[in-house]
Amino acid sequence: MTAVLEVSNIRKTFGGIVAVDDVSLKARAGEILGIIGPNGSGKSTLFNCVLGQLQPSAGEVRIDGKLTTGMRPCDLNRLGVSRTFQLLQVFPQLSVRDNLILAGQEHQGSMASRLFGRADAGLSDAAGEMIEFFGLSHLVHERAGSLSYGQQKLLDAAMAFMAGPRLVLLDEPAGGVNLTMLGQLRERLHAYHAERNATFVVIEHQMEFVMALCTRVVALAEGRVIAEGAPQDIRRNPVVIEAYLGH
Amino acid sequence: MTRFGGILVAIAAVTAVAAPFFLKPFGIFLISTWAVLTIAAIGLNLTLGYAGQISLAQGAFVGIGAYTVALLTPAGMPFFVAFMAAGLLCFAIGWILGYPALRVQHHYLAFVTLAFTTLVFLVLRNEEWLTNGIYGITGTPRPNLLGWKTSGARDFYFLCLGTLTMLSLATWWMLRSPWGRAFLALRENPIRALSLGLDTRRYTLMAFAIGSSLGGLAGALYAPLVQFIEPNSFSFGLSFNLLLMVIVGGSGNFFGPFVGVLIAVLLPEWLRITQGYYLIAYAAAVMVILAFCPTGVLGLIERTRMLVRHKVTGMPPLTSGAGP
Repeated sequence: MTAVLEVSNIRKTFGGIVAVDDVSLKARAGEILGIIGPNGSGKSTLFNCVLGQLQPSAGEVRIDGKLTTGMRPCDLNRLGVSRTFQLLQVFPQLSVRDNLILAGQEHQGSMASRLFGRADAGLSDAAGEMIEFFGLSHLVHERAGSLSYGQQKLLDAAMAFMAGPRLVLLDEPAGGVNLTMLGQLRERLHAYHAERNATFVVIEHQMEFVMALCTRVVALAEGRVIAEGAPQDIRRNPVVIEAYLGH
Repeated sequence: MTRFGGILVAIAAVTAVAAPFFLKPFGIFLISTWAVLTIAAIGLNLTLGYAGQISLAQGAFVGIGAYTVALLTPAGMPFFVAFMAAGLLCFAIGWILGYPALRVQHHYLAFVTLAFTTLVFLVLRNEEWLTNGIYGITGTPRPNLLGWKTSGARDFYFLCLGTLTMLSLATWWMLRSPWGRAFLALRENPIRALSLGLDTRRYTLMAFAIGSSLGGLAGALYAPLVQFIEPNSFSFGLSFNLLLMVIVGGSGNFFGPFVGVLIAVLLPEWLRITQGYYLIAYAAAVMVILAFCPTGVLGLIERTRMLVRHKVTGMPPLTSGAGP
């Protein structure tokens, strides 16, 4: 199977601190790859290097074989790469519907055509479908900032999918979400994955969530890859257990 | 816009058209000043209120626009061409001024734009060969447009009001388009916006350029309105006043500049009954307004309306969308 995402020997240092140390990994087309590791293991820094939010100190990133190291996040998004953040990143003053239209509008025509085109960029129907898909129909006109934390997490995920990405990087999607909402979120992610055959890379601490969602898991500790394999194997791996419990 | 808002706008529009028929020349001068400064404040509201980029340079752009018209029209250039040249020049300079906003934010950006205002002031004061320095430029003619002479106070007011109307509608259109949503995204969460494919660099520059351009167009009307311009008119004071107008009216609210400029232009005149204390009274009034309604006068009205709606009907407060 071809690799949608290929990370080769990525290293990121902040002064004397090595946050990510020579990490290489691949996410194959259609798989859900989990990245786990204790706090400070470099998961989010790795994400930020892949997604252009940080410039890696060394190494390279390829998406669909194309070298994308250092590319701006907006350009990566237009290549079909989307993400969610560890902390909630919705637009609180905008309605749920406008958050979703915003998430897709830059993929519609040129900047000039968007100025003279329709106010909704022709995305009202697509936004409505996505709202329904994530079970947010009753909140369509609510301000995103007035939603509960779990509902905002669902909206956050929905925004990442609005432009129909091929590769989605989800940074702790289950963080702070209650059990009921967590089931709904996992089920929606599964459904989207099955429907679109998109590739997911998921950073998560919640092991049950990772086990239920991911097809393969990479474990990081102190900026390095310490294990890689099927979720049930990773769970029993003594090196991984040591990394989590040994600190 | 809600029905309540539509009724208020209709009343305001009728009042704006009828007002000069009931006012003396000084009154017409004041409402003409309101129309001109509202154009500049709409520009600043776009840059600051919608796109979240603080600018203390709007007064300088009004100056650049004013001097452009004051220099070009006596040289034989038609007013309309000089007017457009003022807008284009400020668009280009605003675009360049936007570059620091890509690197610095908040109070740092405020100081960058403040330095620009100083620079413009110094050029206007020191480059006498071009600007006539501290002596300023007098007698910028009021235009004749397709046979319509606007030399009279009332005619010129209608020119200003018509320009304000057209530029307001154009801004309204833009803010209702995906651009408006992108500007709000820039203000609320630029990192997330970037990850959703928004070219935040280009939108930031565009917000600065369009806002500055509106400042220049306001200046292009300011010169023939007052018919005497000099560098001090466009120093820090005007930039701070325009900022005050936007914030007092309601930053990020489409109608905020209309109300803010109205307060800033008319309130000091109404307070003249306090004679020598009128500026002190004005400053105190502004402090009270900002202390009790940091979201501006329109923010206060909106909050009150929501509260009344909630108490009377028990309905939850309305929510806002991306529209202006």
